[in-house]
Amino acid sequence: MFDLRQNDLTRDEFQELALKHIDPLYSAALRLTKNDRDAEDLVQDTFLRAYRFFDKFERGTNIKAWLFKILTNTFINRYRRSVKERNIVEGSERDAVHERFVSREAAEYAANPEQYFFDRLLSDDVLKAVDSLPIDFRMVVILADLQEFSYKEIAEILDVPVGTVMSRLYRGRRLLQKALASYAVVSGVIQLPESEDGESIDLETYRRRRGKSA
Amino acid sequence: MRIDSTVTAAMDCRELERSIDVYLDGEFGERERAEAEAHLATCTPCRAMADRQGAVRLALRAKLREAMASPAAAGCAPPHLRARVRTSLAHERRPLWRRVLQPVPVAAVAACAMGVLVVLAGHRGDTALVDDAIRVHHRALPLEVDAAAMPGWFAGKLDFHPALPHFAGAVARLEGARLSNLREWPAAYVRYQLPRGQAGLFIVDDPDRRFDTPGREVKVGPQVVRVVNARGYNVAVWRQDEIVYSLVSDLDEDALFKLVQAAQAEAAGGR
Repeated sequence: MFDLRQNDLTRDEFQELALKHIDPLYSAALRLTKNDRDAEDLVQDTFLRAYRFFDKFERGTNIKAWLFKILTNTFINRYRRSVKERNIVEGSERDAVHERFVSREAAEYAANPEQYFFDRLLSDDVLKAVDSLPIDFRMVVILADLQEFSYKEIAEILDVPVGTVMSRLYRGRRLLQKALASYAVVSGVIQLPESEDGESIDLETYRRRRGKSA
Repeated sequence: MRIDSTVTAAMDCRELERSIDVYLDGEFGERERAEAEAHLATCTPCRAMADRQGAVRLALRAKLREAMASPAAAGCAPPHLRARVRTSLAHERRPLWRRVLQPVPVAAVAACAMGVLVVLAGHRGDTALVDDAIRVHHRALPLEVDAAAMPGWFAGKLDFHPALPHFAGAVARLEGARLSNLREWPAAYVRYQLPRGQAGLFIVDDPDRRFDTPGREVKVGPQVVRVVNARGYNVAVWRQDEIVYSLVSDLDEDALFKLVQAAQAEAAGGR
């Protein structure tokens, strides 16, 4: 009736399927909690919960997305209250960063702005810029642009409508570019294209209007 | 799906600009994509805008990968974390019937059907206070703070104030503490050195009484304490208002009761 080996098989299968995603999960956990210890606890809790609910996982579906969903829920339930959100981009720090970019390079920037801009970013600055995003935007940018999940997958992970994913992503990316710029740009020397601040794509409206006019 | 040219119209510049991310992410439906491309084919400024946004997207993604994906330090789970996850999985979730029956000695099953019922009832539901506590204590994780530096150390790290009991000095010597958790709930973990072996005390807030009270009920002093023997440890669980204490030790029951009694006297006196 009870097969002990069945349990071990399940554990082996789980480890085989799930543990290979530990790096991306840890990477996301680190950006969510902003410190090693909490990130490690969060990842461990994620795997434990996933294992407990492994019978609920549909074989053949995307286990990475499923693990990210558990990570996100665990974070919200347990850690979000206690993690103190800090605003990383503070004046003195930003000024120090700006000094690395001197004006003689402005001409080079003018020739090829994005290339120039991103090539000069340090990984540390990228991390700080990501961390400076409000958490809802931070998460959606990580899921889309780092983990390359589809809108639909992100909607399932975060348990929000696809339209919310679109608008958060749109806003989150532009906030991120702005934050990156604040690390990498000397005021007045480099200006990022910054037109549509705050506006989110309203695809639903567009589709409705299209539907009517057609 | 066939695109019907009579319902396919080009987007205008503003529509395209506002949905450029969706287009570049490849998330448009077939018809919307056709409409976007119809516009791009005829609008040079929008084509330039789309190219530029596409380049930004690629560069941004490359930078994010460089900073946050393996082999970057911020993208690699440290080796000790992998080991920790494997260890905790190995200890996790035996089938329910094993978890329920294991703490019951076979002799007791034979001896006293009533007793068995009591113990079984006590072990249903969430046994975090015992199972998780034993598991964490058994792992003997390094302490984050030693006894000397402990006063005030938990302040701001937990959502509640873990009032530490002070055992009578000769019995249990405070060694240090770390943050821990029982299930997903944050807990204070305090380790004590005993004349023989050691004890781990978990302190967790439980205003909603979500923890099941496991084990056998024993009256120790003015308080009701529950005692469970599992996996070679004796565990005592008691509650003080909204705070629950779970003390894991390898003491025998009598010695454990004495320790609990000392702790309660002190905690009550300290209020």
